[in-house]
Amino acid sequence: MKRIIFIISLLVAVYLNAKSQDSSSVATKDEVAEVKGAVDGINETVLEMKSTLDALKKIKISGYIQAQYQAAESASVGSYAGGNFPQNVKSRFQVRRGRFKINYDNDLTQYVLQLDVTQSGVGIKDAYASIKEPWLKMASLTAGVFDRPFGFEISYSSSSREAPERSRLFQTLFPGERELGAKIELAPENGPLSYFNLKAGVFNGVLNNSNENDRHKDFIGRAGFQLPFEEEGLAIDGGFSVYTGAVTANSKKIYEIDNSSSIKKYKVDSTITNLGDGFDRNYYGFDLQLYYDVPVIGGATLRGEYLWGTQSGTDKSSSFYNPDAAGSSDVKSIIDGKKVTDLYMRNFNGWYINYVQNIGLKNQFIAKYDVYAPNKDVTANDIGAVGSNLNAGDIKYSTLGLGWIYHWDSNVKFVLYYDWVKNEKVNTLATGTLAPFKNDLKDNVLTLRMQYKF
Amino acid sequence: MKKIFLTLITAIATFGFSQKGETITVKGSDTMVIIAQRWAELYMSKHPDVTVQVTGGGSGVGISAIINGTTDICNASRPMKKSEKEKLKQRFNTLGVEIKAAKDGLAIYTNDNLPITELSLAQLKDIYTGKTTNWKQVGGPDTKIIVYGRENSSGTYVYFKDNVLDGEDFASSVQTLPGTAAVVNAVSKDKNGIGYGGAAYAKGIKLLKVKKDVNSTAYAPTEENVKSGDYPISRYLYMYTRSRPTGVMKEYIDWILSKEGQEIVTKVGYFPVR
Repeated sequence: MKRIIFIISLLVAVYLNAKSQDSSSVATKDEVAEVKGAVDGINETVLEMKSTLDALKKIKISGYIQAQYQAAESASVGSYAGGNFPQNVKSRFQVRRGRFKINYDNDLTQYVLQLDVTQSGVGIKDAYASIKEPWLKMASLTAGVFDRPFGFEISYSSSSREAPERSRLFQTLFPGERELGAKIELAPENGPLSYFNLKAGVFNGVLNNSNENDRHKDFIGRAGFQLPFEEEGLAIDGGFSVYTGAVTANSKKIYEIDNSSSIKKYKVDSTITNLGDGFDRNYYGFDLQLYYDVPVIGGATLRGEYLWGTQSGTDKSSSFYNPDAAGSSDVKSIIDGKKVTDLYMRNFNGWYINYVQNIGLKNQFIAKYDVYAPNKDVTANDIGAVGSNLNAGDIKYSTLGLGWIYHWDSNVKFVLYYDWVKNEKVNTLATGTLAPFKNDLKDNVLTLRMQYKF
Repeated sequence: MKKIFLTLITAIATFGFSQKGETITVKGSDTMVIIAQRWAELYMSKHPDVTVQVTGGGSGVGISAIINGTTDICNASRPMKKSEKEKLKQRFNTLGVEIKAAKDGLAIYTNDNLPITELSLAQLKDIYTGKTTNWKQVGGPDTKIIVYGRENSSGTYVYFKDNVLDGEDFASSVQTLPGTAAVVNAVSKDKNGIGYGGAAYAKGIKLLKVKKDVNSTAYAPTEENVKSGDYPISRYLYMYTRSRPTGVMKEYIDWILSKEGQEIVTKVGYFPVR
């Protein structure tokens, strides 16, 4: 009997245990299904987040601030080292550049907007759209406001450039560097053609922030090469650039140098048909950059550009003739009771040479020399001579700059730079506004700059 | 004022020349992290006065670091782009020095249990661009393909995109993972998974043979096939320095290219260049 009871008890126990295991197994399956559902949900969420993140990754934000202190040799000097010093001002603090750039990079298409925020206000530096052809990926079209495709220094970013400012000739001929227009660029990434590049575009020819004010469009282009000699640690880059355009005179008085005269002076052409006619604005230039990896010390570069051409300007300035922006003191005629700015034609040339030596990881030494002759047809002695009507816009300048850069880290750098500015000394008989130019003006400038870039 | 200028220049020059100790920093390719760590460990054991610090992050991260001056050596599983060399030129006035340190067959991983042994480049392209989504379309079982890949800061990602996808975009369904080891791990646990990465990481997964086109012979990423060029997706693994290396850094790089350094390449699973 005991034996039967024991067997029945055992069977009941086994049955109950099996039942318990069944229910436990069902519970485990439910839990697994629940976890699987949760994981699938997380996977879906991750995929959604990934697509959002991928879109956000295309937005690139960058910028830099250049805060600086400058001391001039004398108060109120005219300067190309960051703008003229105001009346009675000999030293100043400035935010020279405060850039904020947003770039939406969709691989073959790009949106770029760059603002400049300084104590002078907010300005647009770049605003352009760009597309690259999808087949060979070597040609692109850009339209909007962007750097003029001329030479080297214009498109060399101010945040990377070692000297604090561009050369006087570029600041004069290409104020603001940017222009409104459209360009095509060919820049193969691979193969033998990758040693060459071409940029060419059509532009308003006014300024990046002005409306077109004449019927002319200007052509700007550069054909360049980049030759790397990696074994030797050497690279040679360069190019030839052309700017061909015109300005529209809103005065009938056009001044040109009279080469037949014993005293170099302007002769005026007052033909009525000059009014509204187009006058040359043609520049040509060569640029060359050598890079060499100096053993132990670090990389060095020697860059230079030479420009020449014809400029239509005003009497006080050899910047391009832009009646909308002409200074109040520029020579004006009266037409129909309105003051209009007379046009001065000049043949110019100019060049610069710039040496930069990296010293270790953090230091750079800079030496730069630039010359700008706004009117190469005249000499210093012609300016201010009796019977001459040459003026301040004809004076030649040279600038020697020496400086040092210390890179604090990958974001911050300090720049110490000194500009020795020399104007040619005009005729000793010069009077009026030309009289100060009988001597070298005291317009050297010391710049101490801190830059933060991200 | 000229005196002030000269005084300031002297002060900055003195302040600026801080000498670095004998520490070499190496940053970049995740594909190369294993090999770079082995090199560093062995070299440091033989040269206790030298410290070699190795970190990954991806080829793109390493290249940015060499441009920013925050690493001495950059490891990259793809060559530097022209635009990246331009940035180096702008900051350091050098072209950078490229050193081919090893060769790698870019392996295609699948789970051990997947009954597929080979794929063509066109099939791989279709899988990774989302045109092929089921293993049945390439001769496998009727199941969805789970595609794993790398983040866009990875040199392997760029190499795969340029050489297998012919520059086309990856499908949005590709699950991006932060390193080759993560891809291998994911594929080893996912019977429908496929991934790509360095051959040296291939543990617990299957390496597919790859053929140039449907009519070609398929080759496995072996040393022989990679060296002969028969394996269609092979590449160099690079080291970059800003300037021509000198001193301790030159000695380290010379050692990597020596017989001893290249033996480590083989031990890790890559292929020597010498």
